[in-house]
Amino acid sequence: MTRCPAGGAEVEMAELYVKPGNKERGWNDPPQFSYGLQTQTGGPKRTPLTKRVAAPQDGSPRVPTSETSGPPSVGHPPPSSKASRPPPMGTCPAASVEPPSSPVTESEALIEDVLRPLEQALEDCRGHTKKQVYDDISRRLALLQEQWTGGKLSMPVKKRMALLVQELLHHQWDAADDIHRSLMVDHVTEVSQWMVGVKRLIAEKRSLSSEEAKEEKSTVTPENQTVLGFHSLHNPGGSPDSLK
Amino acid sequence: MATYLEFIQQNEERDGVRFSWNVWPSSRLEATRMVVPLACLLTPLKERPDLPPVQYEPVLCSRPTCKAVLNPLCQVDYRAKLWACNFCFQRNQFPPAYTGISEVNQPAELMPQFSTIEYMIQRGARSPLIFLYVVDTCLEEDDLQALKESLQMSLSLLPPDALVGLITFGRMVQVHELSCEGISKSYVFRGTKDLTAKQIQDMLGLTKSAMPMQQARPAQPQEQPFVSSRFLQPVHKIDMNLTDLLGELQRDPWPVTQGKRPLRSTGVALSIAVGLLEGTFPNTGARIMLFTGGPPTQGPGMVVGDELKTPIRSWHDIEKDNARFMKKATKHYEMLANRTAANGHCIDIYACALDQTGLLEMKCCPNLTGGHMVMGDSFNTSLFKQTFQRIFSKDFNGDFRMAFGATLEVKTSRELKIAGAIGPCVSLNVKGPCVSENELGVGGTSQWKICGLDPTSTLGIYFEVVNQHNAPIPQGGRGAIQFVTQYQHSSTQKRIRVTTIARNWADAQSQLRHIEAAFDQEAAAVLMARLGVFRAESEEGPDVLRWLDRQLIRLCQKFGQYNKEDPTSFRLSDSFSLYPQFMFHLRRSPFLQVFNNSPDESSYYRHHFARQDLTQSLIMIQPILYSYSFHGPPEPVLLDSSSILADRILLMDTFFQIVIYLGETIAQWRKAGYQDMPEYENFKHLLQAPLDDAQEILQARFPMPRYINTEHGGSQARFLLSKVNPSQTHNNLYAWGQETGAPILTDDVSLQVFMDHLKKLAVSSAS
Repeated sequence: MTRCPAGGAEVEMAELYVKPGNKERGWNDPPQFSYGLQTQTGGPKRTPLTKRVAAPQDGSPRVPTSETSGPPSVGHPPPSSKASRPPPMGTCPAASVEPPSSPVTESEALIEDVLRPLEQALEDCRGHTKKQVYDDISRRLALLQEQWTGGKLSMPVKKRMALLVQELLHHQWDAADDIHRSLMVDHVTEVSQWMVGVKRLIAEKRSLSSEEAKEEKSTVTPENQTVLGFHSLHNPGGSPDSLK
Repeated sequence: MATYLEFIQQNEERDGVRFSWNVWPSSRLEATRMVVPLACLLTPLKERPDLPPVQYEPVLCSRPTCKAVLNPLCQVDYRAKLWACNFCFQRNQFPPAYTGISEVNQPAELMPQFSTIEYMIQRGARSPLIFLYVVDTCLEEDDLQALKESLQMSLSLLPPDALVGLITFGRMVQVHELSCEGISKSYVFRGTKDLTAKQIQDMLGLTKSAMPMQQARPAQPQEQPFVSSRFLQPVHKIDMNLTDLLGELQRDPWPVTQGKRPLRSTGVALSIAVGLLEGTFPNTGARIMLFTGGPPTQGPGMVVGDELKTPIRSWHDIEKDNARFMKKATKHYEMLANRTAANGHCIDIYACALDQTGLLEMKCCPNLTGGHMVMGDSFNTSLFKQTFQRIFSKDFNGDFRMAFGATLEVKTSRELKIAGAIGPCVSLNVKGPCVSENELGVGGTSQWKICGLDPTSTLGIYFEVVNQHNAPIPQGGRGAIQFVTQYQHSSTQKRIRVTTIARNWADAQSQLRHIEAAFDQEAAAVLMARLGVFRAESEEGPDVLRWLDRQLIRLCQKFGQYNKEDPTSFRLSDSFSLYPQFMFHLRRSPFLQVFNNSPDESSYYRHHFARQDLTQSLIMIQPILYSYSFHGPPEPVLLDSSSILADRILLMDTFFQIVIYLGETIAQWRKAGYQDMPEYENFKHLLQAPLDDAQEILQARFPMPRYINTEHGGSQARFLLSKVNPSQTHNNLYAWGQETGAPILTDDVSLQVFMDHLKKLAVSSAS
């Protein structure tokens, strides 16, 4: 994981990042957190900073605690310049939380590794999916291809798409859907036009596979047949969130 | 024994309540002498990861005027299978399903740890959530593009089966028909003429005769989960078409000549949105989300004319009765807000512009319906984008943090009456024996409607002790209050959350110390502040300040320890020690002072103040200040100019702003680049620590605050300087001598002077 403070260099490789806000358009715009950071649950949480000190009852400020200057700079004589130096390498008061590191895959994602499986998934849905939806998804995949080959997609988008396709191939619908969501949140400008096609493809593939699973089941246990029609009727687009 | 602080915290965590008094004065007369009313902050849907809902319905008291819910305070006769209502003392038979109960086999709602319990109701039709986007197209290209992208992005965050609709407006208002077919159609309305709900529904073809689909409804009640109109379609069906439709949105095509504002028909657009939902989905969870980049400039609800040379109203204009459109516009939006509340829907406003956009006139829309109000400079900012994303955030269960159409009902034991509520709600005008004639906030009812709420939405609820002085309550007696919140969960289930609490009564003459020790000064400060801000909406500023001052003086007279006419002898006990400083900062806050704020800004600040929970509200009243140095771990310090020291970094949280301020020496060290030298790595860590802490706050806060990174002498240091208590000013600097802290150039009264006056007045026999 790469975490950089606001104002620091933007590290786009990782899905967990903070980048500075848009100071041009917004006065004191806050930094922007990536989808991964925003949805992160648990993790190192500091105690919330909500404590206050009571003013003395006469309202006068507390006399500041005696200013013992920091630990003497061992081996570094104080500079003669008027500005003192910070004490070197002493105790650091901030309980700095070391972010857990995650391996960064360096290899470049290849277009065929991404597009081929998507096209195959779409092909699987032929017959299951309405013609018009099929065409619509197909049009968006073409757009994805065009933008990819035209060099319009950034590295993080390509990488995340490769991961998405992996999840799709392994029938991890929720995971694939979550990656789609992270791409929409973090890279909406790049992906908004075609990503919705990928989103729908995940949903279609999911509903197709659940239908197939049911058909298989029904051949084994015929008493289940009564529920069958009902389900396929009600889950046309699939609901990726319902299983969470 | 646990301390009161622990008791208060435990109750807040379990029941989502904080009471001003946790031991109650037992007579009306004594209660009025306590100055701070008996009241509580209630967070009806406080997140309780440890509280799974039970899958049955609550058991109600059979007395038609009571209908309280069975709870741990009820007396139960296990042998006879009877329970006595603790509010009206009615004896009730348990329903058949409870025949098996005994002392050792109790249902959850009788166990003391379930003073708060949530019921999941299975019956009733479920309908999907609805999101209706109302989008201003009179935006700059860059802004419109950013907004379009945010809206496209939101389609990925919405629940897949939610219904979504789109209305766009500029000079005209367009209601877009959403279909899966390639051709998109829209209905165009003039932006100058207001239409009744009936007219809107006729024109959109929503009336019964024009909508055969709706007539067919009873024929297939279960199989067809819902009938959506052509304007509201499930996200998973139309996401691709809607993405294209949004992508193709253009700026309003009508030319805007030099010196003019674009003509913006916000009033009519909102009216159509309200009418559309009113006709199609009354009483099911729905959000109207208005995105606007400027003030309404034509038609009903216009706030300013289109001539740029006439600026939008200021506080000065309002005081001089010179705000031409204000009253009429306010009336228009109030009418819409009340209709929306009656329909059980809520209205959000996302206003992004550098100038005012008319939030003052439109504020009732979110305030009465529990909608959000977000104010930013541009849609192309992370402030807007992330705030908008957070609307769709999920809880630990993966459920959206939003609930709809809630009804909050309050029941009290007979020594108490309900005086009113302050929060994002409207009265349901339900009179009854437990409703007081004296109103505090929105009163005259025991029920309120909260059309949109989330796990932090918090109401102030005010009570009156009505027990007469000569009718003492038996020793050890307890008063009880029950809060019943019925709502539509984001999973579209109907749920009922019931919280029943009890507190001891005490005789204020013989047991004043008990009452005093159980005072919750934080809750009291927020509850009094809500009353003050509520009054400030209708009264002159100085009157409200005088009222707050008078209350504070009376409180100090009642609970201070002092010798008459001797200010130096004045002391307050621990449970009151912070209260005066809360009031001091409240007086200076933007909730009561309009100086330096536009009417829109005041409306925005007050909107958030009236709905946040205790912790956030208190941050708004008295910002938090933390100090970072080499002398130890970060520590909270006084919000005082004496805390501004050269070798410290300060982190201030005002709720709306996060400020990081580097003291003079620290700033010099940073300029000299010590943080980049390996031997001064600890300095690098010191610089980083407040950034990390700020990040943590930024990640959790809704709406996103502004983020200010400044240093000694920086122009933005003013945000810190204007908030700290000016204990050192240019007037008394030399009296203080040394370089302790930073003098503030102000003539404002400091906390010390404020306290001196307060003590003088408190101990004086004249006042």
